[in-house]
Amino acid sequence: MSDTLLEIEDLHVEIEGNQILKGLNLSMDKGEIHAIMGPNGSGKSTLAYVLTGRPGYEVTAGKIFYKGEDIMELAPDERAQRGIFLAFQYPTEVPGVSVVNFMRTAYNAIHADQPKSAMAFRMYLQEKIDLLEIPSELVDRYVNQGFSGGEKKRNEVLQMAVLTPELAIMDETDSGLDIDALKHVSAGVNKLATPDVGIMLITHYQRLLNYIRPDVVHVLMHGQVVKSGGFELAERLEAEGYAGLAREFGLSQEAIAEVQKLEKARA
Amino acid sequence: MAEKLTRDAVERLADRLGEPGWLAERRLEAFDLFSKMDPPDPRGEEWRYTDVRRFDFDRFGAPTPSMAPPVLPDDLARKGVIFTDFVTAARDYPELLKEHFFTDVPVDEHKFTALHGAFHSDDVLLYVPRGVEVELPLEVARRVAPGGSTFPHTSIVLEDTASVTLVDSFSSEEFSDDALCSSVVEIQAGRGAIVNYISLQSWGRAVSHFQTQRFTGYRDSTVRSLAVNLGSSFARTQVESVLQGEGAFSEMLGLYFADADQHFAQRTLQYHDAPHATSDLLYKGALKEHSRSEYSGLIKVSRGAQGTDAYQANRNLVLSDNAMAHSIPQLEIEANEVRCTHGATVAPVEEEHLFYLMSRGIDRVTAQKLVVFGFFGEVLDRIRVPGVRDGLSDAISAKVESGAHLEVAV
Repeated sequence: MSDTLLEIEDLHVEIEGNQILKGLNLSMDKGEIHAIMGPNGSGKSTLAYVLTGRPGYEVTAGKIFYKGEDIMELAPDERAQRGIFLAFQYPTEVPGVSVVNFMRTAYNAIHADQPKSAMAFRMYLQEKIDLLEIPSELVDRYVNQGFSGGEKKRNEVLQMAVLTPELAIMDETDSGLDIDALKHVSAGVNKLATPDVGIMLITHYQRLLNYIRPDVVHVLMHGQVVKSGGFELAERLEAEGYAGLAREFGLSQEAIAEVQKLEKARA
Repeated sequence: MAEKLTRDAVERLADRLGEPGWLAERRLEAFDLFSKMDPPDPRGEEWRYTDVRRFDFDRFGAPTPSMAPPVLPDDLARKGVIFTDFVTAARDYPELLKEHFFTDVPVDEHKFTALHGAFHSDDVLLYVPRGVEVELPLEVARRVAPGGSTFPHTSIVLEDTASVTLVDSFSSEEFSDDALCSSVVEIQAGRGAIVNYISLQSWGRAVSHFQTQRFTGYRDSTVRSLAVNLGSSFARTQVESVLQGEGAFSEMLGLYFADADQHFAQRTLQYHDAPHATSDLLYKGALKEHSRSEYSGLIKVSRGAQGTDAYQANRNLVLSDNAMAHSIPQLEIEANEVRCTHGATVAPVEEEHLFYLMSRGIDRVTAQKLVVFGFFGEVLDRIRVPGVRDGLSDAISAKVESGAHLEVAV
């Protein structure tokens, strides 16, 4: 039995005719934490969405194997039922649906063989709330409605704790958080980072990686993984900037100009 | 073969019910009005979206009274509460009936009320004396025979500081012969009285449903209403609240869920005719497949109604590209110190919401159900009769899953 959790081969993805991912290769083993770092517009969020099956993302070439299975044809709910989870960069508000009701519906969909009653689920949920030190009133509110940025991100981590995925993709979980909120959210993720789960941290900044230490760092630029390495790669990125390293990674002049432009736009 | 909606049928109905002369006479007068009247004009505001000029009344058989007699607990009867059919009321409480029957909704309002005046049957009079609080909800169940008709009348009279809840349900099996229901509801809430009136329409698809509800609230009274439309192929519901006394409060809730080729037309009126009264209206509807709905609501504030606080919202969730919802809020304000807000929305289910839910392992139908429940939650949470709330939740669930007709169990 292989330890490979995720294998992405030569992935090409288009959105409305625009090519975003241009031959991305990536491999993750079970229980590892991988950071995907990249400048704005490099395709980080696209990678997250295409892994979770969001409609509108057309895979024009390449393959995605999750635990050895080609998941390309699976709907988002089928992927989640197999253990793939996405912590959203911008969690969606669902008016009128309470967090606890939503999470129990999700839990019972994923663990259809062992569904929990309302009361059993409430107790299970409380354990996770205690573990992550989240205010318990959060779960009686409507999903993400009126939540602060920090509350939304905590709610995503709580869902991860409840649904116990095998692959957790965290899309810019650090964005919009102040340092206290970042520490809190990171502490939660660290508690959940067991050998049973592979975590893909998608981030623009090294900041998050000071709190959640990755095993592997990948640099995503211009729709490809241009370099993989250890934590020191993240440090170099922070010090020298994406554009500064772009030449070294063998990007074309054109691609470098694009990276510089997007980075400038972000700043 | 059942007889049609003729003058002879009116006479036979009155005979059969053994009604006193004055009631029978009123029926015949109403029938003659019905014969003379033109159908409501779709060019007018009230019937703009409901063209009934070709409505064929000859399709329907005359009503066959079939209602089970209203049930009133003994202790309430001892307190002077009256909950009975009109035949009994005409015999035992003729003055009460004369005073409160067809007084708020005139027989000649339009062709359907005139026909109602001729053929009303399965009628209910609910009277609550001063200061008596009826805690448990009372219930009436209306039925109609295949190919037949029913004209149920509901009169509720609350003396000062009395309170009551009535759940009025209109339901049938699915059958193929066209049937008609034309119902009238009149409610008078005395000073400080509290009334909660819930009408649940879940007819089979062969039934056309017309209903006029009119409430009058006197000083410091509270009138709550909930109008639910789930069944019928065509339903027109008119709900009017007249805030007659200072400090009166009216809550008007509406919930509708149309599928297949169902068509619901709703007209509401919040008529502020006294100072410092408050009305709060929320109508929410979901539409599937080829269904249609129209909502048109008027807030009317008369010159003397200073300090009026009126709120009106109509929200529509459109679940299919082929479904259509129209919403027209209107204001007519003659006073100058008022607070009136109104709003209308027609929007589809957002794919983004569905993706978020599905990314947590929830299948598409269940995700839609959650979104629809979330949408209706705002109304469901305000329903004070748990049985009604649960019954509606089940009916909404079934509607999301399929187009199947389902009765609302209370």
